Amino acid sequence: MNTLTTIITLLIFPGGLCLLLLGLAYEWVDRKLVARLQNRVGPRWFQPLADTIKLLAKEEVVPENVQARLFTVLPVIALAGALTSALYVPLFGLKPAYSFEGDLIVAIYLLSLLTLCTGLAGANTYNRFSLIGATRTLTQLFSYEAPFLLALFGPAIVAGSWKISEIAGYAESHWLVLTQPVGFIVALIGLMGKLELPPFDAPEAETEIVAGALTEYSGRGLALFHLGKGVELVVGLTLVAAFYLGGVANPLAFFVKTLVILLGLAGLQALFTRLRIEQTVGLWWRYGALLVLVQFLALIVWEGWVA
Amino acid sequence: MQNNQGNLWQNVMDQVKTWARVNSPWAIHFNSGSCNGCDIEILATLTPRYDMERFGVKLQGSPRHADILICTGPVTRQARERLIRIYEQMPEPKFVVAVGSCALSGGAFQGCYNVEGGIDQVLPVNAYVPGCPPRPEAIIDGLVKLLQALDNGTMPEPITLKPGVAVPSKSGNPA
Repeated sequence: MNTLTTIITLLIFPGGLCLLLLGLAYEWVDRKLVARLQNRVGPRWFQPLADTIKLLAKEEVVPENVQARLFTVLPVIALAGALTSALYVPLFGLKPAYSFEGDLIVAIYLLSLLTLCTGLAGANTYNRFSLIGATRTLTQLFSYEAPFLLALFGPAIVAGSWKISEIAGYAESHWLVLTQPVGFIVALIGLMGKLELPPFDAPEAETEIVAGALTEYSGRGLALFHLGKGVELVVGLTLVAAFYLGGVANPLAFFVKTLVILLGLAGLQALFTRLRIEQTVGLWWRYGALLVLVQFLALIVWEGWVA
Repeated sequence: MQNNQGNLWQNVMDQVKTWARVNSPWAIHFNSGSCNGCDIEILATLTPRYDMERFGVKLQGSPRHADILICTGPVTRQARERLIRIYEQMPEPKFVVAVGSCALSGGAFQGCYNVEGGIDQVLPVNAYVPGCPPRPEAIIDGLVKLLQALDNGTMPEPITLKPGVAVPSKSGNPA
């Protein structure tokens, strides 16, 4: 019985299949919102699903001069990392499937795995656009990762725990967006950097470097990377909503809060044009990291003196 | 019985595949010597006013991601190799749409010393969109007709005028 529950948890609900479908649904919401903000009709509701099935049914070209095994395995690792990280966050407003002291760090690391795999995939192929894309992906990783991490550590410091479920439980009674507004904004923009959404889409800038690190990927590999990105979107939104917007205690709160954040992300995407890669790095290290570090120190001092 | 079930499963899978292909045509645009008139119309087609994302059309930068090659202009002798290369880089199944009079027949450039002719002299073309340049509505119409033919299974045989020159797709018939 216990094994059966574990298998269902991992493969169907809330992990696995449901999570993939939720990722596709959120991708559609994101695209539709951006389209409406640009005064377009936008894609139909099944668009990401059709894209994924089509890519899975397409021929997969393995280009010359690549390490073929690595080329095949990288998308799988990327998707697996994103799916695994989802086990530690309170999806659908339910308790996380697995939980232990310090799972916040593990979840954030697993979320970065997708970006790392994208970078490696770009560096693996013998294509100048892929190489530039890989360089930019990894540069961006190094610029947003530290501020994003610090922004998620703020609630952890206040809650006095490294366990996602405990932090989320603490956040249910405290709207941390009010007490740590800087952290919230940095976490939100960090999420956009992580997902390479428009103001930070220099790594896959289609007008400059074709499609960035994934230029040589076709068919299955591309589909898996897309799915991974959808899952990462859901997990990231859940983390930010659980930590900053008063927790996600029930499914209704989960959907309302994540969709509100997604609306904000779509607005930012439609509002800003692409930053050059050195502007991205400058933005993060000059302002993002500095501001969130100041807030982080203030939190530590506050916790040390008051609590 | 076993065979019958296998066929049923195969049919369902084929239907799902065709549905996905019809609803998610990602395009790549290549100019093989056009005067840019058709290119500007293609860009106009992709603007919010016409919004091709309604049909799931996304303009992709990489040939590896694309399903439909939208070609404009006559094929000049210099662009020929590049055009064939772009086509060969696309994964199967792939389709070619020729946009504009020049892409159909060479148009105003027909018979020039440096011009090979229309796109179908080099690649198997699935849909033709006439006009000089065609309006965005015409381009959308051509694309929708291609998708309908794909959906009905009535995809016409791709036409190549010089079979010796043309690059056959791997399966012979991209449909």
